[in-house]
Amino acid sequence: MGKTSKDKRDIYYRLAKEEGWRARSAFKLLQINEEYDIFNGVLRAVDLCAAPGSWSQVLTKKLKENTTNADDVKIVAVDLQAMAALPGVKQIQGDITKLSTAHEIIKEFEGFKADLVVCDGAPDVTGLHDIDEYVQSQLLLAALNITTHVLKNGGVFVAKIFRGKDATLLYSQLKQFFELVTVSKPRSSRNSSIEAFVVCQNYNPPSGFVPTMINPLLDHQYCDFNQLTGPNRFIVPFNVCGDLSAYDSDTSYPLLLDGQTTYEYKEPIQKPIDPPYKNILEKTKNMQLNK
Amino acid sequence: MSLLIRTDVTAVKLYEEFIIAGIGSSLHIYEKNTAKSFGTHNYILEGQKIYGIVPTKDKSKILIFGGKQFKVIHRSNLELRLFDFSPGSVLCNDWLHSGIWTSDNKIALLTAHNVVQVWDVSNNPILISCTINKDNSILYSGLITPLIDDILVFSGTVFSEVIISRCECEEPLHRLIGHKGVIFSISCSIERGIIVTTSDDRSVRIWGLNGPAIDRNTKAFWDSVTISCIHELYGHLARVMRSCITNRYVISVGEDSGICFWDSDGTLLKKIGAHQNAPIWSVDVDEHNLVTGGADCGVTMHPLTVASDYSDSDTLRIGEGTPKKLVFTARRNLAVLNETGHLIYYVIAEKTEIVHKIKHESTYVMLSISPCKQIIAVADTNGSLEVFVENCKGPASVQNVISTKLQINKILSMQWADNRHIVLCSESGDICVIASKGSEVEIVSKFLLPHCKERWLTSAAMNLDNNLLVVGDRCGNIHCFIKEGTNPIKTFAKVHGRYGPTSIRIKNNGIISTGRDGTIKYFSVYYNNGVYRIKHTSSKDLGFQWVEKCIDSQDNLICGFQERVFVIADLRNNSKLLEVHCGGGHRSWDVVRYIENINNGYEQIIKLVYLKNSDINMQTFCISKITSKDIIKGTHSKEINCLKSHHPQLEESATFFISGGEDTTLRVSIAKESKHFQDEVILKHLSSIRTLKVFLLEIDKLLVVSGGGRAQICINIMHFVKDCDDVKVVVEDVIDFLVKGTDKERKGAKTWRNCTVDFDPETRIMDLEVVEGKDNCFLIYAGCSDAYLRIFQFKYHDDKVTFKPLGQLKYHKTCILKTHCVKFLDKIILMTCTTRGEVCFWDLTEPNSITDNDATAFLSTTTNKSGINCIASKIISDSEILLATGGDDNAVHVKIVHIPNEDFQSAEIVHTWTSDRFHGSQITGVLLKDNIMVTASIDQRVTVFKISKNGREVEFLYQTISDVADIQGVDFIKKSGDTITVCVFGKGIEVLALSLEEANFNCHNLGIL
Ligand SMILES: C[S@@+](CC[C@H](N)C(=O)[O-])C[C@H]1O[C@@H](n2cnc3c(N)ncnc32)[C@H](O)[C@@H]1O
Repeated sequence: MGKTSKDKRDIYYRLAKEEGWRARSAFKLLQINEEYDIFNGVLRAVDLCAAPGSWSQVLTKKLKENTTNADDVKIVAVDLQAMAALPGVKQIQGDITKLSTAHEIIKEFEGFKADLVVCDGAPDVTGLHDIDEYVQSQLLLAALNITTHVLKNGGVFVAKIFRGKDATLLYSQLKQFFELVTVSKPRSSRNSSIEAFVVCQNYNPPSGFVPTMINPLLDHQYCDFNQLTGPNRFIVPFNVCGDLSAYDSDTSYPLLLDGQTTYEYKEPIQKPIDPPYKNILEKTKNMQLNK
Repeated sequence: MSLLIRTDVTAVKLYEEFIIAGIGSSLHIYEKNTAKSFGTHNYILEGQKIYGIVPTKDKSKILIFGGKQFKVIHRSNLELRLFDFSPGSVLCNDWLHSGIWTSDNKIALLTAHNVVQVWDVSNNPILISCTINKDNSILYSGLITPLIDDILVFSGTVFSEVIISRCECEEPLHRLIGHKGVIFSISCSIERGIIVTTSDDRSVRIWGLNGPAIDRNTKAFWDSVTISCIHELYGHLARVMRSCITNRYVISVGEDSGICFWDSDGTLLKKIGAHQNAPIWSVDVDEHNLVTGGADCGVTMHPLTVASDYSDSDTLRIGEGTPKKLVFTARRNLAVLNETGHLIYYVIAEKTEIVHKIKHESTYVMLSISPCKQIIAVADTNGSLEVFVENCKGPASVQNVISTKLQINKILSMQWADNRHIVLCSESGDICVIASKGSEVEIVSKFLLPHCKERWLTSAAMNLDNNLLVVGDRCGNIHCFIKEGTNPIKTFAKVHGRYGPTSIRIKNNGIISTGRDGTIKYFSVYYNNGVYRIKHTSSKDLGFQWVEKCIDSQDNLICGFQERVFVIADLRNNSKLLEVHCGGGHRSWDVVRYIENINNGYEQIIKLVYLKNSDINMQTFCISKITSKDIIKGTHSKEINCLKSHHPQLEESATFFISGGEDTTLRVSIAKESKHFQDEVILKHLSSIRTLKVFLLEIDKLLVVSGGGRAQICINIMHFVKDCDDVKVVVEDVIDFLVKGTDKERKGAKTWRNCTVDFDPETRIMDLEVVEGKDNCFLIYAGCSDAYLRIFQFKYHDDKVTFKPLGQLKYHKTCILKTHCVKFLDKIILMTCTTRGEVCFWDLTEPNSITDNDATAFLSTTTNKSGINCIASKIISDSEILLATGGDDNAVHVKIVHIPNEDFQSAEIVHTWTSDRFHGSQITGVLLKDNIMVTASIDQRVTVFKISKNGREVEFLYQTISDVADIQGVDFIKKSGDTITVCVFGKGIEVLALSLEEANFNCHNLGIL
């Protein structure tokens, strides 16, 4: 396989390299914005699960457009993994489900609350769908928990969700905190993939709600208005985002796109820093079966 | 109601003489010794996979948990039933990682937020305490162990750390630091004083306890112990999922399908592969057995031994010169040819040898033994031939029966074609078949081997009436000769790669050949009025490169080499029976398999002998002691993308499933009653299989067209035939076509560096339709990921098969996800559906009409907001078609197309019904049968609707939940009375009987099943 084969297989992977994004995910946030205008007036934002940083890149670019004074813009990016520096982005390396990390983020927004919280967190998938969905939902809930501390009333929360068997539990929970909850699928996200994004607008916690870190928000359970099976399930509206002329991530495109006359292979923008099993691959290779 | 379930096996337990497996939400019980099913308990948990099966010490109760649910079941007093339990389960507020019994009536559970809950389960479970551990970030794994005076907690964090704490102590006791990834499992043996952790970082770590000489089951011990990593072990090629500890070994299982046996010094004693390259999710041990459950839906039991325990190694030496070639004889002694060309008969039991000196005029000496292994032939290039026969009784010996000089020069190869005939091939391709005549030989027939670079034979076989000779040449061709002619009547060019076929067998009406291209190939032979018709029917990939020969009479056990490892594979279950590191197949070696009576039991024995550094190494294996046994046979190792069911007329009680998946295999499986499910045929594509369609050619003869990645389309014809009491599937592979050509064709002969960039898109076949034309001709419409609709013509008549592209049409702008045909009056309509939610209707009455580039759809409509994943249709009148689609937007759409007087141009949508209320995720399956519509979704719900006769009203009937994750579709099986039986498939397969009777609705929700 040549090095162009990934370019061929995935149009957005290729476009990301050509447009200077660290990951193809950038397009997802851009397309969500096209539909929901989430950056409108936003100056302060939190990017949870941010590595390698393409959403932070998008945020940097878009938030700057909202002000003449670049100092007004505040972006905090958090991830388990180290991430290459980005000018104007404050980085925190940590586990968002951990209390200490949450405190660190909250500290950043004492006084001035955030206008927008985004979370693109995805666990290391095991292949067992229910565990993967569960861990992903915990990332979402951890993000929501942090959000309740840092987001201004009326603010927006966007998070990745796995639309698996218990997604309705998350929908009903989010609905308690936001006036408008929709599930969206950017055109840059594959049709077949289980991933989608919840776009939660107009933050409005239940009256009397006091954010707390001691008891993390626990999951909802099935109940009368959200049954395990049957007609009463809590399903929120679905939307596709990205306009019709956008490239489609399931379609195979030729290397010469419509209107192009040349193609040039581009190296990836940001190779992973410190991949988890660098030396281990070597070790396994040299492994000897002792008989 | 679930009739059959196969999905990830997430829990296994050895319990007395039983094996209990948690498959989805049900428990499957098997007898350990016989592998017979002892019943299934469905709906143990509600819509949740079982992850833990924990019996009490006295085995009278079992704690079952999974997800956020748990339940206690009791040992039954009834004879035919193992457990009693009441419906429903207890729902906790968090995911459960580990559970134990702390006393007869109390259990402790560890949750994913590092909380220990203690429940009293003597009656209705009551939560009695809850300990929140300090670090409550999300855990990927955990373990709790009871101590005499507290509960010990091991928590596996995302941050690659294991935290050890106990309930009564607020501060963690120990932190195990060293892993470089998520911790997937923790095991602990207090007796052996070790902790074993497995991780994302592919390592297994063994941690040792160094503590005071007091009872290790006390908190005092754990408070003062020091723990250090004593071994960091690498043996898996992917993530390590689970481990278990026995009194001799540490056993780890991984995502790479590997099971590693380690000893306490950290030595890898043995590694075996199971579960068809799928991840292994669960493992358990008792004194003698190991049981594993995999992502291939299988459960396998392995003897708890390492190969050296039950194998015997011996090094033999001969006195006369150095051995060069050797074979086993019928009495399992050795016939050895030494470097001077003498034949040594070596009697293994006595370790004695008899030397038969042979005079050679040439140094190139060949040794060959007849299929019955009693007759040994030694010949040299110049034509001297010696034949020896081994005696059957009395002291073992061989006798020289023929000693002659043939009038054939420059002999290049010699093979036995059967027990009477030797095939010799000499320079310029002259093939002589000789047989004995008294103490001499005669030439019985002569043939000419067609030209090829290295013109000699690598294998040969003759049929029973000595009419047909089939040979394989060194260039990979197979030639068939009949007695009357010199030239082949049929040649199969380049069937076995460049080293030539390694073996050929003729049996009944078929030929089986093997080669060093990793395959075994099947041919059919028909003989009628003196005419032979020989046809290649199918080919099977063994997964190792060098396939040598079959070693049993049923042709199920195949041996060969995977690089330096000798392998015996069992075709029946696609598994490896034996792997021996022996250095590779290039040195002389031989293998025999036989059955021996040992202690009143019959044991299958394998004896392997090979040369290594002039030594003769011999290894004997007692198979049952070292090989694994399937308790539940596995199937697809990844998602099933497409499936069609078939009921053979021959056998009404059986249902066959033809399925294709992400694991690139196309399988035919049989399901009988509700317990028996097994793959009968496994075929391979180059890449994932996305779609398959079937067409019934005649009774029990199916045309199966499949397509997927690498723009590949394969056509197989499957015959369902009676074989004794069973139905067997005979496959004939007729077409394997790459729309975009092979890599070589695409790139041309240029080397990789010189080749210019190939601008063509990577195309996947997303869906296809098969339409019958005239005169054994079929049209295949393929919807592709590059937005093209491609049309092919396939002709099938007796021996002649043709397949050719007729044209392609680019009408859509984006990927076509579905193609669907419907016969309307005497016309055929094709619908194409895209990722943009459009459905276009094409008139196929003139099949070629849509190959013009300006062809347009006669009707086009948008149903879903984005991709359409499934479509079904139904004719409701002479002028109306009802169609239903399900999409990525959770919505199901029902539309009615009105076509007045067969005038397609005036077709219009006259009615629309839509709802997105029933599924919380992509709808991937829809099916219409009579007045019933069934939808299935990734959210694992299956919904049943009733549609009025005129199609205008859609009524929700009820919904049920399936244990199959990532559902990719639903197929109809049967409808009888008030029950419709369907099969959902995705990560596994489940057959559901959906009752349409009012009374049974929602019985599920009430937990009264
Ligand atoms: C899909 S990537 C995010 C891509 C990013 N939005 C971008 O555009 O470059 C998901 C990230 O989630 C992070 N993650 C997963 N679990 C986490 C946790 N518990 N805390 C913080 N980050 C986590 C992973 O390290 C990973 O970098």
